Order: sequence, then structure tokens, then C-alpha cells
Amino acid sequence: MNKFWTIFKSEYLQVVKKKSFIAGIILTPLFMVAFTMLPAFLASQDVSEQTPYSIVDLDNREIGSQLAEALTRYKLEDDSTIETYPLREIYELRQSDSDSLSSLRRHLDSLILTKSLKRYIVIFPNAESNDSVLMVSKSMNFKASNRYDNRISDILTQFRLKNSNIDLPLDTLLNITHRIDMMQESPGGKTKDFMATYFGALIFVMIIFGSIIGFGQILMRSIIEEKNSRIMEVLISSVSPFQLMMGKVLGLGAANLTQVSVWGAIGFLIFLFRGAVDIPVQVSSIVFNPILIVFFVIYLLIGYIMYSTMFALIGSICTTDKETQNFIFPIVMSLMLPVILLMYIVQQPDSLITIIMSFIPFLTPTMMVARLNIVAPEVFTLSDPIIVEALIGIVTTGLTCLGLIWLTSRIFRMGILMYGKRATIPEIMKWIKYK
Amino acid sequence: MNGYLQLDKITKCYGDKIAVNELELSIPRGCIYGIIGPNGAGKTTTIRMIMSIIFPDSGEVLIDGKPVDKNFKNRVGYLPEERGLYKKMTLKEVIHFMAKLKEAPADKINSQMDMWLEKMNLIDYKNKKVEELSKGMQQKLQFITTLIHEPDIIILDELFSGLDPINIELIKNVMLDLKKQGRTILFSTHVMEQAEKLCEYICMINGGKKVLDGSLTEIKSHYGKNSIHLEIDGDGRFLNTLNGIANVSSYTNYYELTLTDSIEPNDVLKAIAEKVTIKRFERIEPSLYNIFIELAGENSNSQTSNIIEGGMSHE
Repeated sequence: MNKFWTIFKSEYLQVVKKKSFIAGIILTPLFMVAFTMLPAFLASQDVSEQTPYSIVDLDNREIGSQLAEALTRYKLEDDSTIETYPLREIYELRQSDSDSLSSLRRHLDSLILTKSLKRYIVIFPNAESNDSVLMVSKSMNFKASNRYDNRISDILTQFRLKNSNIDLPLDTLLNITHRIDMMQESPGGKTKDFMATYFGALIFVMIIFGSIIGFGQILMRSIIEEKNSRIMEVLISSVSPFQLMMGKVLGLGAANLTQVSVWGAIGFLIFLFRGAVDIPVQVSSIVFNPILIVFFVIYLLIGYIMYSTMFALIGSICTTDKETQNFIFPIVMSLMLPVILLMYIVQQPDSLITIIMSFIPFLTPTMMVARLNIVAPEVFTLSDPIIVEALIGIVTTGLTCLGLIWLTSRIFRMGILMYGKRATIPEIMKWIKYK
Repeated sequence: MNGYLQLDKITKCYGDKIAVNELELSIPRGCIYGIIGPNGAGKTTTIRMIMSIIFPDSGEVLIDGKPVDKNFKNRVGYLPEERGLYKKMTLKEVIHFMAKLKEAPADKINSQMDMWLEKMNLIDYKNKKVEELSKGMQQKLQFITTLIHEPDIIILDELFSGLDPINIELIKNVMLDLKKQGRTILFSTHVMEQAEKLCEYICMINGGKKVLDGSLTEIKSHYGKNSIHLEIDGDGRFLNTLNGIANVSSYTNYYELTLTDSIEPNDVLKAIAEKVTIKRFERIEPSLYNIFIELAGENSNSQTSNIIEGGMSHE
């Protein structure tokens, strides 16, 4: 045991004392927040349009002028109005006048290309019945385009209602078509924002994914380095290969846990002071659930041991970083899969496909954590199927870990003495059988 | 001979290739024991089996008559042929780490560390990183890490490779000191001259098999009675044609003659004196190198070319 602790401590300290580790502890959450929040933040910013637009009205029922008026009085969600859509001109054309339409469009196109016009809208005859409105612009500003879209459909709706003899003023109509926010309610009665649920699951899954890949690679590299620098032989003459392997795996596991604990503490601080600083709603509304946290820590450790054992195996049979690439690919893919499927899992946390996938040992840690984040109860109860499934998952992944450790230790003890060339599959099969 | 460390018919195969074949060794306590043989003879495999790094397919390694157990590793200091240390650690950290792996008590490590660093002229580098040392210094550092936990048994695989003559002398003296303290030293090399200078007992292996073992004096006297060191004025090509001469090795300034058992050296001396002027004529013990050539020649296997190559590579 003493020797195991010597290796454990040395591996732990070697990583924790590195500047890159300390930088990673601080920078990773910042990057994570930036990556998840920045796109949403930027997209929500108002992009005011200073360049004017034009309207070409072929319908001749003043749809064009109504649209222009609606856009100037555009109401934002916080009830302030913006007037950033300057109108250049409304052209009213006869519908039969197709020659002048095409020459006008050529003219407007050239204005757009010289940037003196942002966009123009062509309203064809009987627009409300055949939805024939065309918008031409060079760039697709999602937010602004949406506003044009909404206003045009509001006005067209008004015309449709008029056709059915219902007369409503535009303002009233706008109040009816208010945006509805989706809320999900869990059995405990707590409401969750759908996006918050998604981002919560994403953060947990990304922490498992990131730390396994990160620390797994550190482990693999250190084994390859020890092989190449021939320290391995000295180490093996003092400790058993099994002690060495487990000391390294668990020492780095402790470093991993240290890192995640610091992140957890940072997250908790943000949670405590969520009122004081202006944090996007998605972060602050993640509900901290003790059951979820306990299962998360267990699954993080099991997942780490399972995958890092595989990284140790790869490290022991390869001699260069390059050789490891082929082996790492399937590992990264099986870790990536739940991230890719997360949108589906969040929507269908209890579907048969989700349940089956969450019992494939290599997917269990991330899948279970993602599901628990969505449907875990606040109190521990065996009557909740997700708790039972999560417990069964711990047993199955635990057994998988033991199997992998056994297999890897057989290969590891031979592989680490191979210098200069990668082990072949037949060689590896033989090693497993050696006494 | 009832040795301290014994190998009892150990065999190790890698697939079809037999690396070590029923090797029996008996190493007395407190001696310097040399394992010599060409590259690929099975020296490193044997040492790895002693260290329980790999395990024999059959046979046993015994210490004091009992099979080696887990604690055995702590009693041994092993310097592998392939050297390596953690480059980013300081000397102090490396020595400490290696000693801890042998479960040496902490207070002993510190006192021993300074003593060894002084002895190896590395004390000024104690808090420097390993990567700042020259290659020779790193070798000496590794030698320290091998000895820091005061091992009973010291196994040195190709100890002198890459060392300059001054450091070789330094380390040789340390080895002789250790022997005086009663430590048992197992020393493997493919350079026969080194073994000849240091070892009391020798075992030669070739192709995974023991070719010869015994004390150096025994071996030499057994093989030594018929060798002559000869220096003459003039051409020595006629030597081959003389009666009673089994073999002539010619060197730049002298010849080494091996006589047949039936002839008296005096008769040979007379025969030579008739033809040329003799400057020196001396009965000598043969070098290990020559013995090895002779033995390997008897086996007349394909390893012979390796042996010559190994034997000729002087430090």
C-alpha cells in the first residue's frame, strides 16, 4: 500500500503543481460560460439598422405604408420603442407593369450593392391570400429579419381577418400574438425553463467529457514518456505493475476531482450571488439538487476510472503520440455521443432508446447524469424509477471497470516493457494469457 | 556451492524463441558476481526475472534458500541497462521518490542523500532539475537512486556504458567499498575487460544458456596453462607452421600463442629462437575474451560473430 501511495502522491502533485492546472481551473469555467452564453448574448443584442429600406407595393391597398408605420412603432419586449428602420421610399406600381418592376428591382439591387440601401420588400398583389411577399437583402440579420417577418405577417393576418369581416386595429392584434415562453414543471412542483434544463445537462455532461479526455490524455502521455525515457523499468523493479497503474489512475483521478470541486465551488458562489451580478437566466436558474450532485460525483469517478483505464492500456501498447490517434478516436466518439444526442435526451429522458443507451456501460455516466439533471427528484426514494436505474447503472459500470482493470493490468505489465515498437494484436492476445 | 541468491533452472520463452534456458546460478553473499555474454545472450531477461519484473515459465529464484517474495524488491538496488529519470524533477525529488518506492524510512533518506551527492560530486545540483545535468551526471544520479535505500543486493546492468574514465574509476571504488560492507553485487556486461578487473565470480551465458561459471582464478588457471605472450623482431608468419601450436592471435606489437597440451613451452621457445630474435616470452593467463572465444567456438553456433563484436568493443 505504501508504494501505491507514493505513486499516487507523486502523480497527484506533479499535475496539481503545474501552472497549466491552475490556469485550467480558472480559465475553463470562463471559457465554458463564454461558449455557452456568448452566442445567446450576441444574438440577443439589438442590431440597429441605420441604412434605409424600401418597399415596392404592387398590391395597392396600402400594405406598404402600414408596414412602414408598424416598423417605426416597433415595440420591444421591455416596452420601449426603437426607430432604427429608416424608410427610404415606397414605390407603388401597377401590377401589370412587369417591365418597370424588373428595372426598379435592378435599380434597388444596385443600391444594396453600393450599401446605400439595406433591403427592399416586394409586396405582390393579394399578398394575404397567397403569402407572396419577397424580401431582398445582402446579409441575413436574424433578429431584424424576424421583425420584418412578424410585422408583415401581422398585417397580412389583419387583412385576412378583414376578408372574413373581422375588423381589428393593428395594436390589438399585436397584443394577441404575444410570445409564449415554454416552461416545464417537475413533479415536485418546481418549474424549470427548458433552456436552463438543456444548459444544465450540457454543463454536467461537458465536465465529465472534458475531464475524462483531459486527464486520460495526461495519463496516457505520462506512461508513454516513462516508457520512452526508460524510467518504467526502474519503477517496475520497485513496485508491481498493478500498483503503478492504479497509483497513476487514481492519483490523476484525485487531481481531476480537485479540479471539479473547485469548479463546483465557483458554481456555488455564482449561485449564491446570482442576484448581485447580471448573469444570464440560463445559468442562475439551474437548480442545485443534492441527489443530482451525489450521483454526478459518483458517475464522474466511475466514468473517469473506466476511460482512464483504457487510456492506460493505449499508453502501454503505443510508443508515440501519433500511434495513439487511431485508438483514441473511438473513445472520443463514445464520449461525444451523449453530447450530440443531448437535445433528444432532454426532450425524451424516459424513452426506450434513451434508457437502452444509458445502460451501455461506456455511455452510462454521461447519459445518466444528463437524465438525472432533467428528472431527478429532490429526495432520495427508491420508488422513483430513475433512482433505481441510476443505482443499477453504478453496479454495471462498476463491474465493467473491474473487468477493464483486470484486462488492462494483464496487458500493461507486458506493454510497458516494450520499447521502440507498438504491440501487435496477436502479441496482446498472448500477454493476456501469460501467467 | 550454496549461494545467497540462487536461480534454480529458470526458463523464459517469448513465443518460439527461448530467451533463457534452464539457467542455474548460485551467487555467494558479499561478492562481485559478473554475468558476461554478448548482446542478446539473455542477460537482461535473466535480471528481469530476478527482479520479478517478468516471471520465469519454469524454475525459481531463491534468496537464502526461499523463493523471493514481495519484500525482496525493497532489498535490491537495480540499475537497468536503459537509463531514465524524471527530467522535470529536482535531484532531491528524484532521489526521495525512488527511495520512497523502496519504502526507505524518511530520516535515513535525507542523511544518505547528502552523503551520496557529496561522493558523486553532485551536491551543488541538489535543487536543480535533472534536465540541467550532463549525461554522465545523470548516470551518476541514477547510480545514487540505485543505492539510496541501502540495498543488500545490487544489480548493475551494463554499469559503465557512457561514462568517462574518471567517473568509471569513481564508481569502481564505490563498488569495492560496497563489497567490503558485505553487499552482494551482480554485474552484467558485454565488455570482458571490466568483468575481469572487478569480479570474483563469473558466469558466461550465450544463447540463453550457461557456458561457464566459477571463480575468476579457477577459470583462468583452468584455461590458462598453455598461453604464451610473445614479442619478437621480424616477421611472425612462420609461427603457424611450428609444431605444438594450436592457435596464433596476432596483435600490432605482440602475439598470443595457444599451445597444444602435449608440448613443453621450452621446446617452443627453442624453435622460435632459431628463427628470430625474441624480445619477450612469457607464460600468461588467457583473457576472458580468449576463453570466451574458445568456448563459443566449441559450441560453434551463430552467436560467435556477436561475441567477437562484443568482446572488441572497449570502453
